[in-house]
Amino acid sequence: MPTKILSIDDSRTIRLIVAKAFQPYDVTMYEGADGEKGLAVAAEEKPDLIILDVTMPVMDGVTMLGKLKEDPTLKEIPVIMLTAESGRENVLQIARMGVRDYLVKPFKENQLIEKVSRIVPLQKKPAAN
Amino acid sequence: MTELPNYAEVARRYGLEPIPESVLRLAQLVSRQEADLDEIAALIKKDPALSRRILRLANPHTVDEGHYEIKTVEQALMRHGVGCALLLAMGAPLSEALVKTFLTMLSLKLECLEVRSVIPSQGDHLFGIIRFSGKATGQVQLRLGFDSAKQVAAKVLGLESANLEAAKDAVGELLNIMAGNFKSNLCDAGLECCRLEPPRVYSSAEFNTVVEEEGNLERMVFRAPSILMFVDARVNPWS
Repeated sequence: MPTKILSIDDSRTIRLIVAKAFQPYDVTMYEGADGEKGLAVAAEEKPDLIILDVTMPVMDGVTMLGKLKEDPTLKEIPVIMLTAESGRENVLQIARMGVRDYLVKPFKENQLIEKVSRIVPLQKKPAAN
Repeated sequence: MTELPNYAEVARRYGLEPIPESVLRLAQLVSRQEADLDEIAALIKKDPALSRRILRLANPHTVDEGHYEIKTVEQALMRHGVGCALLLAMGAPLSEALVKTFLTMLSLKLECLEVRSVIPSQGDHLFGIIRFSGKATGQVQLRLGFDSAKQVAAKVLGLESANLEAAKDAVGELLNIMAGNFKSNLCDAGLECCRLEPPRVYSSAEFNTVVEEEGNLERMVFRAPSILMFVDARVNPWS
């Protein structure tokens, strides 16, 4: 069964980069452009992992993370923060909320793959004949 | 919530890079409102590049260094305030963040140009702005021509070409990365920032710097093959 990954970022560019990074793998990608949409998709699809931005309109990533951790059906889903914000206080606050990893933008695809593969299985798609 | 020991442990766990020590020292010194001017001047003078930049900033209408009206770092600080030094301290990591973004995500090496050697482009271009607010307020602005912006988007997405909508989104994300880094450094220097607004990107024909609030401002210009970008950073540390 494919690994389900939910990417939440208000930037379509970042969502495309993240989706492209997982193309070689047996992964089903889901997307959300803000925390509110992200929570709705998470509740519906129960992804194996969430990749979450911080600064977003409507609902930011920290608020979404808080709501995720309050929900007994969603709180165990591992979260990797993918954000340009790396200030000590921000990082500490987010780390204490229980994220599994933190990747600061700009990033390379292989850094993302490496961090994700430590948390969920990533199987390469079989080569097309 | 999960209790974690301290930032050093968290940074090690997540593989985060610390703020450069020299930048941190200057920023911490400047961020104290009652900071000693001589102490700040002494720290700036240890770095010739920083000294050159502060004198250039203090003499905005003079091209030839020999004709500068403000000749010393102390005079520049007296005239423009220590917020000017804070902006200079933060300008280097901001510039590095942009260069690193281009290298990491676009595989392009950006060159930082001497501002006065570049004539601002004319005509319509993409203008992006992102603001942060808190104990320090400020903004980062980015300007680049439509063709440059489309090239950036195509490169970052690994496509042959990109349309203007994709270009706007890519420029917004570039701003987000730069401003996020800028804000993080300010926070780490003790100037707590509470909020980074989502970026706004739109077409504009105005190439002059947009300054809507008080504060110190620095313009930087970057070039890569067929790409020319103007970056303006403004910070007001004691809003």
